[in-house]
Amino acid sequence: MAPFYKYGFFGDEMSLVLAFVLGTGFGFFLERAGFGSARKLAAQFYLYDMSVFKVMFTAIVTAMLGVTYLGWLGWLDLSLVYLVPTHLVPQIVGGLVLGVGFVVGGYCPGTSVASLATGRVDGFVYAFGIGAGTLVYAEVFPWIKGFVNSSEMGQVTLPEVFDLPWGLLVFAVVVIAVAGFSAATLIERRSGEKS
Amino acid sequence: MRLPALTLNQKLALVAVVLGALALFSVPHRGPVVTLDTRELAQIVEQEVDHVTPSELAGWIVQGRSDYRLVDLRAESDFAAYHIPTAENVTVAALPEFPFQRTEKIVLYSDGGIHAAQAWMLLQAQGYRAVYTVLGGLEGWKDDVLYPVLPAQASGAERARFERAVALSRFFGGEPRAENEVVAPTPAELPKLAAPVPAGAVSPVAPRKKKKEGC
Amino acid sequence: MAAPIILEVNDVSSDHRPAVMPGSGRPASPYWNPYLAGLGLGLVLLAAFVLVGRGLGASGAFSSTVAWLVHLVAPAHAQSNEYLQGYLGDGTTHPLKAWLVFEVLGVMAGALFSGLLAGRARIMVEKGPRVSTAVRLLCAFAGGILMAFGAHLARGCTSGQALTGGALLNLGSWAFMLMVFVGGYSVAWFMSWQWR
Repeated sequence: MAPFYKYGFFGDEMSLVLAFVLGTGFGFFLERAGFGSARKLAAQFYLYDMSVFKVMFTAIVTAMLGVTYLGWLGWLDLSLVYLVPTHLVPQIVGGLVLGVGFVVGGYCPGTSVASLATGRVDGFVYAFGIGAGTLVYAEVFPWIKGFVNSSEMGQVTLPEVFDLPWGLLVFAVVVIAVAGFSAATLIERRSGEKS
Repeated sequence: MRLPALTLNQKLALVAVVLGALALFSVPHRGPVVTLDTRELAQIVEQEVDHVTPSELAGWIVQGRSDYRLVDLRAESDFAAYHIPTAENVTVAALPEFPFQRTEKIVLYSDGGIHAAQAWMLLQAQGYRAVYTVLGGLEGWKDDVLYPVLPAQASGAERARFERAVALSRFFGGEPRAENEVVAPTPAELPKLAAPVPAGAVSPVAPRKKKKEGC
Repeated sequence: MAAPIILEVNDVSSDHRPAVMPGSGRPASPYWNPYLAGLGLGLVLLAAFVLVGRGLGASGAFSSTVAWLVHLVAPAHAQSNEYLQGYLGDGTTHPLKAWLVFEVLGVMAGALFSGLLAGRARIMVEKGPRVSTAVRLLCAFAGGILMAFGAHLARGCTSGQALTGGALLNLGSWAFMLMVFVGGYSVAWFMSWQWR
């Protein structure tokens, strides 16, 4: 029964080994997609290359369908898969800040790691920036703690919030994603023509 | 009828939409509704492999074992008044949501045995396999561990057993007695919770290794 | 800045990789079809769910590393800082012995492997044609700082929150993901000098 780790199939040490292996797959596909390059990543926000959107949502749809079907078959206990608790307002603000950082710096934490691994100096500097920012964040944490922990909603999913069946939300996400991909390709062509 | 040739991307999109549509019929993952294997459960109940005697439990506590979780199913006030050392308080209502590890041993007790048995069924239904009840519950604990009684016509073996029980009883702050002693019925006052818990035993709220699982 | 690492960025390909890698002269392989890359990524994520019961991430590794470094240099301060203390743990395990730290090391390995395979691994600076390397690196640093705040406020970054939480239909993650795009698009025009 999955998740295997939660059912005691293997211990912490093996879990760390798996972390490395999974990370390897993660890094491999990030670089395959071209996300080791800030220019490719930033292009998303200039509409002439929507790969970030395409890759991200394809990955989401794939994994989402995967857990849905595995859960349906009874092979995966989804309640044992860790869901990051929702803190709505800080996460909204965090998202905005992250989006800005994305365009200013050209990466996100994961892609910056992929980037520096392939020799990009700016990726390396960016990662340093994250480290510095983390330090600053830790220092100011006592003052912003209240905000950071506000609007706590616990572990909550979209089906729970909208009181709709899980399957319906899954279908909706798939439809939105596929429609989004078509739209994205159209937008790419249009921007390509303009520039 | 010939279908137009689809590009790879279009094929992928088609697969996704079909799978998504099929997912409309999926059942919620591990909601409160569970399925029971009645035959398997009936077997387990009949074989009585799901019990732990109070003496056994007392032995585990003394040894300082930490491979089990002792759960007191009673109300908070009862728990505060007295509970078996190393127990945690989880009411039956809170039980289904309680984050037990799949692999840990869960030992349940209540005053008698009814709630413990019902809770046992709930946890088994949720798929936990290492679930046990304390035979006799808290009453059993009082009778066997805290206030063991030496029968009037005790055989040698029974006396020997009693000696061991005496040691355990004293350990937990109880009072062993002989049957023919004229003594008040089981003391209304249970031992104060300051009763000695062996060093190295799991503290009442066992420190679970809290691993960060976020990003 | 030293000449060897300045990239001449009049790239020709439509997907913004240099048509020819400077130095090696060898044509870099084209990037994969994004849907296939996304499929691969999604399967890795699914494997994480099935094997370990958690998703991927990245920002947490940075927190662990910073916590460890601060602890090396000023242990008392690290322990008294609530945020860092959370990543130092109770002292029984080394802060770098964290799942995400190992995962991020894997990301480096995987990315390097893919890059080498494709002839895309090269010491260079990614930047637009109109900006100098120095300014680009400054922006990268600034962006990193912003990113740190964003990620820690949101309890994750695009890997952890958007991908992982997205697949699990996590409310906070979807809200976060939406705002990332909003935030990015809002400032894109103002930063176009860096990229175009």
